[in-house]
Amino acid sequence: MTRSPIATALLVLACLWGGTSGPAQSLDDLNIEVHGYATQGFLYTTKNNWNTTNSSDGSAAWTEAVLNISARPIPQLRVGVQGRYLLLGYLTNAITLDWAQADYKVNERFGIRAGKVKTPIGLLNESQDIDPAQLWVLLPQSLYALANRNSTLAHFGGVMYGTVPLGERFGEVQYRGYGGQRVLTSDDAVFQTVRDKGISLPNGATGPMYGGTLRWQTPLRGLMVGASEDSEHTSGAAVLGALSGSLKATHFYQPYFYGIYEHSKLMVGGEYTRQALQKTTAFVGGPTIFIPKDQRAWYMMASYKLSEKITGGIYYSDSLDQQLPRSAARFQKDWALSARYDLNTYLYLKAEQHWIDGTELGYSTSDNTALQPNTRMTTFKIGVSF
Amino acid sequence: MKTFGETLMTLRLSLLLLALAGALPGSKAHAQVLVIANPSVGTAEVSKAELRDVFTGASSSLPGTAQVTPVLLKQGPVNADFLGLYVGKSDSAFRASWRSILFSGQGVLPKTLDTDAAVVEYVLHTPGAVGYIGRASPHDGVKTLIVR
Repeated sequence: MTRSPIATALLVLACLWGGTSGPAQSLDDLNIEVHGYATQGFLYTTKNNWNTTNSSDGSAAWTEAVLNISARPIPQLRVGVQGRYLLLGYLTNAITLDWAQADYKVNERFGIRAGKVKTPIGLLNESQDIDPAQLWVLLPQSLYALANRNSTLAHFGGVMYGTVPLGERFGEVQYRGYGGQRVLTSDDAVFQTVRDKGISLPNGATGPMYGGTLRWQTPLRGLMVGASEDSEHTSGAAVLGALSGSLKATHFYQPYFYGIYEHSKLMVGGEYTRQALQKTTAFVGGPTIFIPKDQRAWYMMASYKLSEKITGGIYYSDSLDQQLPRSAARFQKDWALSARYDLNTYLYLKAEQHWIDGTELGYSTSDNTALQPNTRMTTFKIGVSF
Repeated sequence: MKTFGETLMTLRLSLLLLALAGALPGSKAHAQVLVIANPSVGTAEVSKAELRDVFTGASSSLPGTAQVTPVLLKQGPVNADFLGLYVGKSDSAFRASWRSILFSGQGVLPKTLDTDAAVVEYVLHTPGAVGYIGRASPHDGVKTLIVR
């Protein structure tokens, strides 16, 4: 059964209101807070258009705005909801629900959150959409491709979490376990490659998913290493012209391994994942198409805070789908050079230059009649948060 | 030309002056900052690591207190000293990490106040609250925490 995001948001708000509206509790006692941010991006690519933005002519079709409302009626309980408007080329132009949840933290060792919750996998999945928290205009696209964001960002269900100290000599371990339902709407950007083939998914795709994460805060201050495993099994009804059928992905298990070291003004990090699965599209009276995938993706990144207001960084991002035939479409290698300038507590500017070889990620054939094997991309972003 | 003994004496004097300079009020960042807590907080001492964890959102407890609430100064030299000495981050990096926690649904932003007096007032009336102020600021009624 799927539940609409709006219904979930209303459910959480109803819990918030119903559970805390007794006569003894004023609005002040609820500790209600409202925050948000908005960003405007500009893109220019030398050759291929990036994510349907017509970027080879220069494009400002990349706008994002987020509103967050949270309350803490008692110290252990938080409830909140976050909505997002995202315009990106003609890939997406919609308001969506980021998350809507109730979170109860019993103590440091155990807490639980439920509703629509961020999926705790990998190094940056939970924060990959939070632009004000990042140096980068674009995170390494091999693992955090913008068009695929919704497919991994959040799920309907729950997360249990906690921290277990191992003593002063061994640091501590943070754990996350999660489960629930992945729900992707029919207009989700992740389906652009399917849409490029003339296939639509009128009801989107859904399926069960679960997984877990372990992060070891090592005794060396600032060094964290971690591993995650995500398991999903999604499917949906598909339409190809007059034919109807289904699109299914095999039940897959995806491991992530990562580490990050932060010391003073320096940050160095890296991550690896492998996604191996097979998608099958089958149509009544039509063809059955098997699309195998075996993607190995990794990146290394480093940043340095040059001053209170200026941060610079560099990363290399690499992805290879070993199931695709040998061509520029099976890989992507991306060097990025980035800078961020914080004008004040609320306002920031970012600039980033990419040198991209290969066309595996971020391109639609709908606005790229002949993809070139490499392109250069210049991006700017201005953001404000409160 | 100085003899070895004279050189040694000069070195000793230099070290003594450096040590004295370090002991003078205002010569070190931590000499400027006072960590304060609501009287309900059940400890008189905290380690740097415990303080860092509370103020970065990694932990919400201290020894003897299951739920503590950090409160921040908005800006200024005391804020910069506290973050540099006990959190190990600049103000912009510190606030960026809190935004990551907030917008990913993993926590709420700590209350941020404009003045030392406002921090003292908040800490005094909020069970479990922990904050920081300038050492010279009045802080009657709140507990001061020694940072190990």
